[in-house]
Amino acid sequence: MIEEQTQAPGATVPASATVDHSHSRDLSVEPMIKIRPGKARVRSSLSEVWTHRELLYFLVWRDLKVRYKQTVLGAAWVILQPLLMAIIFTVFLSKLVRVPSDGVPYPLFAYAGLLPWMFFSNAVAISSSGLLANSYMITKVYFPRIIIPMALVGVRLIDFLTASSMLVLMMLYYRIEVGRSLLVLPLFFLLTTVLTLGFGVWFSVLNVKYRDVGSLLPLLLQVWMFASPIIYPSNLVPGQWRLIYSLNPLAGLIEGFRASLFNLPFDWTSIGISAAVIVVLFIYFVQAFCRIEEDIVDII
Amino acid sequence: MGPIIEVRNLSKRYRLGQLATVQPTLRETLTRGLKYPFDRLSSRKPSEPKILWALQNISFEIQPGEAVGIIGRNGAGKSTLLKVLSRIIKPTTGEVDIYGSVGSLLEIGTGFHPDLTGRENIFLNGAIIGMRREEIRNKFDEIVAFSELEEFLDTPIKYYSSGMHLRLAFAVAAHFEPEILILDEVLAVGDATFQQKCLAKMKDVSSKGRTIFFVSHDLTSIERMCRRVFLIDAGRLKDDGLPSRVIAGYLKTLAVAV
Repeated sequence: MIEEQTQAPGATVPASATVDHSHSRDLSVEPMIKIRPGKARVRSSLSEVWTHRELLYFLVWRDLKVRYKQTVLGAAWVILQPLLMAIIFTVFLSKLVRVPSDGVPYPLFAYAGLLPWMFFSNAVAISSSGLLANSYMITKVYFPRIIIPMALVGVRLIDFLTASSMLVLMMLYYRIEVGRSLLVLPLFFLLTTVLTLGFGVWFSVLNVKYRDVGSLLPLLLQVWMFASPIIYPSNLVPGQWRLIYSLNPLAGLIEGFRASLFNLPFDWTSIGISAAVIVVLFIYFVQAFCRIEEDIVDII
Repeated sequence: MGPIIEVRNLSKRYRLGQLATVQPTLRETLTRGLKYPFDRLSSRKPSEPKILWALQNISFEIQPGEAVGIIGRNGAGKSTLLKVLSRIIKPTTGEVDIYGSVGSLLEIGTGFHPDLTGRENIFLNGAIIGMRREEIRNKFDEIVAFSELEEFLDTPIKYYSSGMHLRLAFAVAAHFEPEILILDEVLAVGDATFQQKCLAKMKDVSSKGRTIFFVSHDLTSIERMCRRVFLIDAGRLKDDGLPSRVIAGYLKTLAVAV
């Protein structure tokens, strides 16, 4: 930062900019802000996110505060929602259809699958309308736009962690013995967050460009849920389809979550494929966001 | 000592189709893709979208501590210029170098949430316009005193009257002190006493050596606030100089138009 307060206020400068700018100031002084036409670079966008980290914090804080004030049960919904779904699936799938569950009690099996799934689907759904819902801010104030989907995913990540406390209670209730595989659990939290953030970022900007996304997404998520081993184990999928099945990055993740929680054998091939798909998609999605970012205000 | 803002050949182009109609839907994008080969066969060129230059070749320099007023008719490009300088929209061509922190108030109370209390909204709005949490905390008592809303701090602002709402919003804005402040018609709201209070505060800010960019249709306050005025017309910088002269010239063009 440079101090330039000595200049008399109101000093007039020729309006026609015919001055030779290259000599008008010390070359070592870089402007604090450079505005140039063209696309934002991914790296500079990420450093902007860091400078605006307090805004990210306040947006997450706002959503948590508002939800707590607007609903009677407040934070309890975060646990009740997946729990009620687990009960419903237990009644219909486990009791009526007798879907197997890898030797784990079905309610626990379903809850462990529903937690990462609901984090993913809720966060992607809310992010997809995030830029539109916050257009009043985007058109009035500058900040890196990617902060909006980041904050929305952040709120859901906190929900996810809160709802995990119920999982611990359930595991105690069913007397599940955990093993060393539990040490790998943070990896799955990380991969799920990266995947969710990637899709959230992508759908948020896609929805600005094509409003159809808003209508298409619920359907897509519905199909995606059945194409992932959430309420059934992936070993129900016939062998010849296994490879294609594991291209769905959620397949390896959710199986990984369960294997690490319930001390089951890991399917490293499927986890490896998931991780690779997640990294590639994430890079692509963030680049896609930065490519469209500059147009957001003009088309929103 | 060099200028604090340098703008060189700044232009912003809009395609009129983009402004006038809604976004292309997925269907339109798909059908356009399918039609494209046929358009080429029939040698009929796809219709060129109409183009509007909201800003054209604008260049200027601002010295630190200057208070610059921007005047011009509706649609002349004043707000577009402020939005480019605020980094809300990107220019089509040209360059801007800014040697200091920029804060813009294109409206006041951006991001206020009706369900949050006055206290919470002070922090939220402060963070949105670009104040650090530490800074808001330090100025919190001053902000509250300025708003005269001590008793209602823990009431959700959905129960505030519009006057209280405005006072809270302006109290935060008035304690926002970036090196370069960009204001768009912020004074267009509120009653006469309120406007006086705002003007006094802005005078105070500019006397502290901060640079102010100020769009308004209120020529009297421009004349009182600023030592330099830009006249923008049809996206071009038409005049730049002392307030009395530029404003007189502007009024003359208005009289001719009528």
